[in-house]
Amino acid sequence: MRSSAEEAESSGYQRVVLKNASPHHYLKVRLLLEDESPRVSAVDLKSFITSCLRGLHGEVGAALDVDVLTYDEETLTALLRVHSRGLVKLWSSLTLQGSYQNRACAFRVLQVSPFLLALTGNSRDLQLD
Amino acid sequence: MVRMKSRRDLLKLDDRAVAGTVKAAVARTHGDYGAALCSIRFCVKYLNAHTGIVFLRFPKGCYKLLWSALPFITSIESRGQIIPCFFNCLHVGGTIRTCQKFLIRYNTQQLHRMLPKCKNEEEKRQIQEAILSCSLTGRGDEELEDELESEEEAGE
Repeated sequence: MRSSAEEAESSGYQRVVLKNASPHHYLKVRLLLEDESPRVSAVDLKSFITSCLRGLHGEVGAALDVDVLTYDEETLTALLRVHSRGLVKLWSSLTLQGSYQNRACAFRVLQVSPFLLALTGNSRDLQLD
Repeated sequence: MVRMKSRRDLLKLDDRAVAGTVKAAVARTHGDYGAALCSIRFCVKYLNAHTGIVFLRFPKGCYKLLWSALPFITSIESRGQIIPCFFNCLHVGGTIRTCQKFLIRYNTQQLHRMLPKCKNEEEKRQIQEAILSCSLTGRGDEELEDELESEEEAGE
């Protein structure tokens, strides 16, 4: 840390490393279903996520605090928030869930970040023409 | 190493019933992940139905999962009977030998605790005879525990 302070004085550039920077992690996920009907509401999505967690991680997993911050019913894209300690449990449960109400489904995790601001831009959607 | 406390008699228990109950509790509490992790080398090593002591063996990396799932067990089903019981964890050891040493110390402490509660001289005399007749070989532990169990019944 001291050497970086000296470098800052000399070159005007400072590198700051934060460990455990944010208590929450944010995931942008998308639910893909075999067929489009019927519609999945936000409440359905929340209960589905809880049941995924219960399947893989039991009652302890189902008690995990997951918040659905935004949800777009047209594209079935949601922004989830979870405590950093529960990120692995949530991500693994979503990945390993294969069926929703007897229909095949898949969760695509598009972006994960400890900072919500980082989810506004996605370089994968960048058009380079 | 855990101890089971039960209202009714434990004598009809077998180790498969206990193993099945513990596995189901871990699966309920920690899901598929917990069930798979804990059942790799899981077995019931020792079960004493008289005193209600059970030794469980499982991988060291997941002892917390199992330990946290034990308080959620409320009953054991064995041979068609549902026996309400409660698991109390007494000691977590690395080897069976350390658990056995702990069990011997624990049983002697229990004996010291219960001996003053004897109701009449006849019981005291019986217990003293039984203890004095224990030999110093491995059979001594069993006799000690059987006397402890009869003393518990007499104490209740």
